[in-house]
Amino acid sequence: MQLSYQHIKPFLNTRQNTASRWMGYFGLGLGVILLLVSVQLYININVLLKDKNPRKDGYDYISVTKLISNENMAEAHSFSDAEIEEIKTKSFIQDATPLLANTFLVKASGSSAIPFTTDLFLESIDNRFLDTIPENFSWKQGQAIVPIIISADYLELYNTVFAPSKDLPQFSEKSISAVLIQLECYAPDGTAKIFKASVVGLSNRINSVLVPESFLTWANKTLGSNTNINPSRIFIKTTDANNSELLNFLQQKNYNINKDKTKFGRVKQLLQAIVSGLSGFGVLIILLAMLLFSFYLQLMIARSKDNLQLLLTLGYSPNWLSKTVAKRWVPVYTAIVLTALILAAIFQWAFQQFFLNNRSDLSPYLHWMVIIIAAVLLLLSIFINYRLVKKLLLKL
Amino acid sequence: MQISLQKILPVFFNAADVSHSQVWNQPVVFDEGANTHIIAPSGSGKTSLMHFLYGLRNDFTGEIKYDDTSIKDFDKEKKATLRQQTISIVLQDLRLFPDQTVYENIAIKRLLSTFHPVDKIAAMASRLGIQNKLQQLCGTCSYGEQQRIAIIRALQQPFKYLLLDEPFSNLDEANREKAMELIQEEASARKASIILADLKKIDYFNAGSILNL
Repeated sequence: MQLSYQHIKPFLNTRQNTASRWMGYFGLGLGVILLLVSVQLYININVLLKDKNPRKDGYDYISVTKLISNENMAEAHSFSDAEIEEIKTKSFIQDATPLLANTFLVKASGSSAIPFTTDLFLESIDNRFLDTIPENFSWKQGQAIVPIIISADYLELYNTVFAPSKDLPQFSEKSISAVLIQLECYAPDGTAKIFKASVVGLSNRINSVLVPESFLTWANKTLGSNTNINPSRIFIKTTDANNSELLNFLQQKNYNINKDKTKFGRVKQLLQAIVSGLSGFGVLIILLAMLLFSFYLQLMIARSKDNLQLLLTLGYSPNWLSKTVAKRWVPVYTAIVLTALILAAIFQWAFQQFFLNNRSDLSPYLHWMVIIIAAVLLLLSIFINYRLVKKLLLKL
Repeated sequence: MQISLQKILPVFFNAADVSHSQVWNQPVVFDEGANTHIIAPSGSGKTSLMHFLYGLRNDFTGEIKYDDTSIKDFDKEKKATLRQQTISIVLQDLRLFPDQTVYENIAIKRLLSTFHPVDKIAAMASRLGIQNKLQQLCGTCSYGEQQRIAIIRALQQPFKYLLLDEPFSNLDEANREKAMELIQEEASARKASIILADLKKIDYFNAGSILNL
């Protein structure tokens, strides 16, 4: 007859302390459910709060500036070359380029159709960062007309607020290109260069008045006071503006970005922090339950000490004894983890069906990661149990 | 298989005090198949010797070797194998499970390493006169009965050496003879050696050599 746990069971004092054993089981079950559900919720949050805005090429383009606060108002807020290089090296940022600004005085005035005059700023950016590049958006030295791209928002503001209040004509996206503006660029000594400028395109991406890079480089060199001025705006290209690593990096560096682009990311960060806390709590409960259970084991072995010692004296192997005693809890642990897994699956199904009204982008089934975690937990508790029993037996 | 003692001495003994001993601090060899009778007055370390041989304690100097391996080098697993296959013992303090029946006490050893079919337990109990005690709790048996239980338990497994530490101290003459007869039969069946330690010489033990401890 094969020796089994049934043969040595009468020699083990297993009936004692059932309360602490059941508390241990209950705690373990509770901890496992909490952990599995919070991992599943973490995954759900990731799926649900993924930015689904249609993007032309799958990237977000975001303008990054340095945060200006009351404390650092007096400091420079431009980016050094080293800082730009650092931004470029980050894995969650695919590309970055500075926005070049004018270093000379610019005044713009309208024609007779739109009589206005204003001080203006100009910026330029590498063409690869533009959402639309009109054919004629280029400038060569000697060219009289400078092409300009303005933010679509500016045109909207002009059409809806500025033009009606001044009784000026409104322009469509196409008709605006017909308007020629006079650009007066002044060197520090007062000498001026006059250009004609026309709006050749509108940008939804960049909030600025953009001119071709060749023009601004030339003009800064010819008219500017300081050619080596550092940029105060950087444009970055990233696959996910809500990436928490990106947000953490920007936060840590005290860089400022358009909050609209990353609002999902902030909510996601917060929810994920809460859920991480929850799973941490689950792990804590599991640890406490294991501790409680280990007390039960220690007590059982201490109370069966004489019998176990005698079994060892008779020639029972400590390895066989620990395996056999530990094996007794394999079905118990399996039942606990399976129950927790089933409850987590029911939770996920109910969450998808009732809480989210059967939203199609979230699966009603558990993520494979949750099942793997359950399996790992099961193996881990069986292994810890075996090691503990063996350690206690070898001490006898 | 051979057990050899190389000048062993309990750490709590003085070499000068045991100069007359034929075991302590002496080279001794127990050959397989040869019976040895150790005669030991109280306090001469009889039980310690049995414990050393069975690997229960290591508080001695010198070496006990099973073939070429010192018993001090046996780990717990190796000792377990040794106790299942090579060596069996009747300890002076018997070490039975008081809360189990007589039958269970014997069966738990038989299950571990079986030499006899299961009905041999009843047959042996019958030969030693405890057949009607088999279902009784061991703790409620008299010391003499418990000695016989321990003897029957030791005879359930295969062995090459059988260690007996005052195995008959609470038995009457008739029962001593019966028990000795059974033990010697069982040892012969296994071509095994008996190492029997007692306070005085037991006449019906067929010993090849007698050593004074």
